[in-house]
Amino acid sequence: MSGFYVLDVPEFSSLVDAAMKSGRCKVHPKRGYYQFVEFENEIEILRRDTSMNEAVWYGCLTGGLDGKIAHFDSDRLKLIATNEPILGLDGS
Amino acid sequence: MIKPLELHPKLHGVDHTARPTWKLRETVHFYRDILGLPLVHCISAKGWGREKENHADFLHFFFDSGNESTIAFFFYIGTEQPPELVVPKGYMAMANHTAWRVESEAELLDWQRRLESHGVKVSQFVRHEIIESIYFRDPNWYPLEITRSLRDVEEPDAVDAAATIEAAIELEDSGRWKTIEQLWRNKVKFVQASQDRAQEKTPA
Repeated sequence: MSGFYVLDVPEFSSLVDAAMKSGRCKVHPKRGYYQFVEFENEIEILRRDTSMNEAVWYGCLTGGLDGKIAHFDSDRLKLIATNEPILGLDGS
Repeated sequence: MIKPLELHPKLHGVDHTARPTWKLRETVHFYRDILGLPLVHCISAKGWGREKENHADFLHFFFDSGNESTIAFFFYIGTEQPPELVVPKGYMAMANHTAWRVESEAELLDWQRRLESHGVKVSQFVRHEIIESIYFRDPNWYPLEITRSLRDVEEPDAVDAAATIEAAIELEDSGRWKTIEQLWRNKVKFVQASQDRAQEKTPA
């Protein structure tokens, strides 16, 4: 199951809204202090759909990522599903 | 045996931080006259101890930075600044900084204007996750920050910080940690564990 976790604090809440706006995800109910935003193959989020400045935007996946970053710059974040090991392709 | 947390000795905020200076006049002018921090104490002493290092005679002086804290300097008389104590250029050395607290956006703006009116180069306001700050340098090139809190730090912040750090230490131990993406991916299991713990506390 691919997705990312969003900590339930004000500065990250607009990430959930922006993800929903992309229309390619399912937002799970809050569990503990996090919401899980699930996507199937890929999701693209635009910073202009969030209320984040760069200082917050560049830390927006700090809640945890089950997926891979395909693109991440000041304007746009694209995540894709992955089976790659976290530390590279040497089986660790 | 380690005592339970509530019996641990406690700290009660910053008393002082200190650093060396080889620019006495400029440092006093900056902290006392530009920042307006009262000079509240000064030790002047013959060098003592550290015989093998031939400890220089020195001044150790303190400026009041509010809330019973001070920022302090050592001036080692008749010495040259060793190259390793010159503040290096670049962002990494900026990690070593002092950040003072103000209580409102208006106060932060006042500080920005005051510093600029004295010719100090000051950054724009930078909003991080929980603070908003301005950045500048003192005459010694030491990085300084004035910041205001945007919200209180609460339980979710602490739980999340623990998950981040646990995930990070595990990656550090691997010796092959290169990117923040690896951290965010490795963190998932720690986040899920925190969710499980929260659910045990408050069963549905």
